[in-house]
Amino acid sequence: MSGEHIKVLLAKKKIDVHGRGSKLIARELRDAGMEVVYFRFGVVAEIAEAALQENADVVAVSVMTSGQLQIARDLIPALKERGMTQVLVIMGGIIPEVDFEPLRALGVHRSFPPGLPGGVVAEYIRENVGKASLV
Amino acid sequence: MTSLTSAKFEAAKRAWAERRARYAAKLRPARTLSGLPLKTVYTPDDTTASDLAEMPGVYPFTRGLHPDGYALTPWMQQMVFGYGTIEETRRKMEKMVAEGMEGYFGHKVFNTVYDVPCMYGIDADHPEAVGNIGQCGVHMSTGDDYDELIRDWDLETTNFSMITGDNCLPALALLAAAVERRGEPVGKMHGNSMNWYPRIAVQDVPSWEPRWGYALMIDLIRWARANAPDWNPANIFMYGLSEAGATPVQELAYGLAWGKSIIDAGLAAGLEPDDFIGRLSFQIGCTVNVFEEVAKFRAHRRMWARLCKDAGVTKPSGMFARVHVHTSGYVLTQQQLMNNNARITLQTLAAVLGGVQSIHTCSYDEAVGVPTEQSHRTALRTQQILMWESGLRDVADPLGGSYFIEKLTDEMEAAAWEIFDEIEASGGYLRGIETGEVKRNIDNSSYEMKKMINSGDLPIVGVNRYVSQEQENYEPFRIDETIEVKARARLEAYRAKRDQAAVDAAIEDVRRACQNLKDGTGPLMPALVDAARKGVTNGEMMVPMREAFGWYVSE
Repeated sequence: MSGEHIKVLLAKKKIDVHGRGSKLIARELRDAGMEVVYFRFGVVAEIAEAALQENADVVAVSVMTSGQLQIARDLIPALKERGMTQVLVIMGGIIPEVDFEPLRALGVHRSFPPGLPGGVVAEYIRENVGKASLV
Repeated sequence: MTSLTSAKFEAAKRAWAERRARYAAKLRPARTLSGLPLKTVYTPDDTTASDLAEMPGVYPFTRGLHPDGYALTPWMQQMVFGYGTIEETRRKMEKMVAEGMEGYFGHKVFNTVYDVPCMYGIDADHPEAVGNIGQCGVHMSTGDDYDELIRDWDLETTNFSMITGDNCLPALALLAAAVERRGEPVGKMHGNSMNWYPRIAVQDVPSWEPRWGYALMIDLIRWARANAPDWNPANIFMYGLSEAGATPVQELAYGLAWGKSIIDAGLAAGLEPDDFIGRLSFQIGCTVNVFEEVAKFRAHRRMWARLCKDAGVTKPSGMFARVHVHTSGYVLTQQQLMNNNARITLQTLAAVLGGVQSIHTCSYDEAVGVPTEQSHRTALRTQQILMWESGLRDVADPLGGSYFIEKLTDEMEAAAWEIFDEIEASGGYLRGIETGEVKRNIDNSSYEMKKMINSGDLPIVGVNRYVSQEQENYEPFRIDETIEVKARARLEAYRAKRDQAAVDAAIEDVRRACQNLKDGTGPLMPALVDAARKGVTNGEMMVPMREAFGWYVSE
């Protein structure tokens, strides 16, 4: 659905610091033609609620100071409870590669290491948005 | 120059130009990270008489703060550490001492980072703390925690550097109360409060409303001056600026403007220049760009000394830019993790050649998470190898007098003054936070750098050069999630043994003192110290503070 309008809720968890990576990815996704709602300082329920209110196609969570598994354990059910079973969920930031698979098992469709061109993330979103389901 | 050497030099320059004439037009023009153009060769034509007429330990200190550099005592090894509860962190403190981590003249230095809940000012039982307790720093919120922090350490020869967030004042109050409980005078405390309020401009975190942020900062400075004169009450967090994306020149300019804003606020509050300016210090980032970083540290010392002199400081030691370097984390890559050891070595080299006072070396695996015991030790050993094997500490300012370094120092200084003057003209750093201007400019630099990395114009090995598809599957340090249970149990046990009526009254006193500080009719710190004596926790002190001083989210 490359020609369509894509809305991304880019969330940074409430208890975090250093926002360089998340702000860069926000800008790079905008450069790629997506609408990005930058949502900071949310606990998981607030992130899920914002995703619903904004009717986001994609929920992207940026993590600097760890807690990614905990977030995924809470976020995926919170999105499902709100009926957002078609939303694409991605994560990025200071996340060890060895957590990518456990995150996938929890329902996060894809995790990205830091430092990649935003275009790589944009491409993944374009290819997968609308096709995902939360299991 | 005599005419004989001058003639010889002119002849050499002509021969040089002849040799390169064939290909010179093809050379790719190089720039520093800050965008300053570089030549391929520097000569005496690039230096000035005043560049060469300086000595280390003499104003304006371009060549270093001390006449003999590191010969008398090397830089302080101040590794950042802290995780779990104080029990885990206390073991780590002892281990670091056993590993030889030390400050000036063998003193102990503990550069302890708090977890993010403590920085925000919430205790372990707060719902928002879940998942973050003891994760990226130590969770310390009670009197018991602070008693354990200082247990058995000699206060005269131990430095407690507390990497706090908004809980900066409560943390100092809790430390002071612990010192009193040990029966020792608060005046014996050595260490640092970060007092990083102005970081709000650069980190994506909420904090006090700007004017109250500055009022709190000055309140701490004033209390420390009266009660703990050896305490360093404020640190200018230039590292935060560069981590957010500032170029080295922007880091200099905004960092000095930040320092100037503390000077201005202190003078406006009636402090005398010699009473507080000399106790301000810096934490600065350091990239792998060795020469630019060396020039940055040299320019920084000179510029700060001038600002201090202009502000009315009379003692030369009061004009010292005392610098702790935190090797820049943003240059580390998750791709091909071990490569980071080469980067960290270069960063440390630049800091040492730059003549700084104290260094934290990042661990190579910080691009993945919290360092392991092994990677943390290798980071410390990197400093120790430079300190003991390399000969780097034998000669003060070994690059001083280099045509290139002197020229680059001058150019960075000039470029930084230009930005500094602009921000001063538009109302200073505090105003720059309020308008979001500082943050916008830094964000833009970060974005420009990312574009250069994406395009390959800024080569990063493993990221846009020599890329590997191999998975590293590096297993980082994990902090046991049962730490949360332990932290909550410690908190509960502490609360159970307090005199609750005294605690409630002390919190009310803090609430009143917050109002007094806002009204300009009284200080806050004494009420916080008293609250700490009564058993009020970090998170409990922050409640009335947050009510009084607002909660401000920058643009």
